[in-house]
Amino acid sequence: MTLLHERRDAPTRSVPPERRGSPVDVMRRRMFWPFVAPATALFVVFFVGPTIGVIWISLNEWAGAGPMSWRGLKNYVTLVQDPTFQTAFSNSMKILVLVGGCVFLASFALTAALREMKGKRLARSIIFFPVLVSGIVIALVWGILFQHGGTVNSVLGNFGVEPISWLNSSNMFTMIGLGMVWINVGLYTTIILAGVDRIPIYLYEEASLAGANAWQRFRYVTLPLSRDVVSVAAVLWTIESIKIFEFIFAFGGTTNDMPPTSVWNSALFVYGESFGSSAYRFGYASASALLMLLVFTAFVVLLRRLTHREPLEF
Amino acid sequence: MKGQDVATTGRNTARAHRHTVANFVKKAPRSLVWLLVAANIAVLVFMVLASFKTSGEIFDSPWSLPEEWNLDNWTEAWVTSGFGQAARNTVIVVAAASVSVIALSAPAAYVLSRSQSRMASGLTVAFVMGIGIPSQVLVIPIFVMLAEVGLVNSLPGLYFVYTALGLPFSVFLLTGFFRSLPSELEEAALLDGAGPLRTFFRVMLPLARSGIITALTLTILSLWNETLMALVLLQETANYTLSVALLAFLSTVQYGSGSYGALLAGACIVVLPTLAVYIWLGRRLIEGISLGSGK
Repeated sequence: MTLLHERRDAPTRSVPPERRGSPVDVMRRRMFWPFVAPATALFVVFFVGPTIGVIWISLNEWAGAGPMSWRGLKNYVTLVQDPTFQTAFSNSMKILVLVGGCVFLASFALTAALREMKGKRLARSIIFFPVLVSGIVIALVWGILFQHGGTVNSVLGNFGVEPISWLNSSNMFTMIGLGMVWINVGLYTTIILAGVDRIPIYLYEEASLAGANAWQRFRYVTLPLSRDVVSVAAVLWTIESIKIFEFIFAFGGTTNDMPPTSVWNSALFVYGESFGSSAYRFGYASASALLMLLVFTAFVVLLRRLTHREPLEF
Repeated sequence: MKGQDVATTGRNTARAHRHTVANFVKKAPRSLVWLLVAANIAVLVFMVLASFKTSGEIFDSPWSLPEEWNLDNWTEAWVTSGFGQAARNTVIVVAAASVSVIALSAPAAYVLSRSQSRMASGLTVAFVMGIGIPSQVLVIPIFVMLAEVGLVNSLPGLYFVYTALGLPFSVFLLTGFFRSLPSELEEAALLDGAGPLRTFFRVMLPLARSGIITALTLTILSLWNETLMALVLLQETANYTLSVALLAFLSTVQYGSGSYGALLAGACIVVLPTLAVYIWLGRRLIEGISLGSGK
């Protein structure tokens, strides 16, 4: 009894009046910092600090050791005129828009098929798997399949087809893009399918009764009602596509050298200008990383603006 | 009567036409599904078969069974090319980092999901923004920072980096998960005098078990395949993780050794553990990912 009495009184005695609340609230407040501080500290050291650091480094010329020399915004000016950066930038945008477009188109086609299919779970799990496989492995298998004397050409050779140079410099980026579609389509199908599965079945039944065929059911029921999940998936793709590194790097890149600059994207440019070529242009590489991040952040904001409407309730 | 007939046939052809279009719309995506399923299985089978073959066999008869099943390629990869050492390094660093990620992110996610203060929502947003910061932005300052304290080219250094890299996504996933749990139970526990620590460990953690397993597995899988940080931070063969070892081996194969069989055995060493985890926990992972993005 006394215990209960004490506890009921405890908050009134120990906290100033403006912070008074139920005993549970008080306890929650008390545990907030001990619970959140360790994660926050590590986050500050490895995310906040380096983000501020990279801004500072990008304004200087620096080889990682020795004195920095101040360049202000000159790194950024040089970047915009650098053909290698322009290629890397346009490759990143191609991945974002073209590869992304293909990923979403394919995901929608797969969603439409998987929604009313037998063996849906099994098919979905198998399509999903490449997302979890190391990009290096996929790139090297892709390379063995498509290189000049590779598997695909030897199979085609059986039908009398002349060997095709799938991976020569003009085709290489297209093949890389195709590989990315293949890797990612499973993830986005899964996400979109999860949203589509929440659409009530009676809407489809009513549409069927009204005489809608498969395409019309897709166009007038699935598409409008999965808008929210597609918008989230598009933001996720934007964030993930700028991170792509090892899949491109393993095309001709090894621990010793880099793939041709014609296939570089943002991450490869940063690596190539800093550690990858022993150029160690830390300031320049940092500026490129930030510039690219800025463009992609703007893209995310734009995407949210364009797709933001009242959330659908159904 | 005749006019009606014509009208019916007209309607029939229109219906037949609509039928073929509908049929196409229905069938094309379905064949795409099976095409992808077949391609994924074929690639995996190709890899495993090739890891037992000689280079000549791989290119001449890619889909046949190996002429003799011997483990030469596997021993070459595991022993000579350092995949054994790399596998040990990767297992140790990834396991330690993933457990640390959960140990740090679960308590944080729990209080962030329960508090309505401005500080809490600010921190939650900060962690989510962390997901959007790519490694190439962080890698240079992190390298400089670790060089300063002598943690470059060391597995402990990589462990700290991996623990930090895993945090934002795990906090994000678990915050959503804790939010979906009812608060009555913990309030009852708190009121019954089970202090905050006991409430968290004895009441909340067991309830959040499935969310924590999902977060743990996704963290393990993403760190298992991480390449950029490892490539920059590790310089000595003895410290290589599997990703870097695979890249290093790729260069020896391309510069003449030509042992594609051993290269693919190495690739199998990287992929097969992932496949095992996926078969074991796959449904949970897929649900976790769809849940995380649905919020």
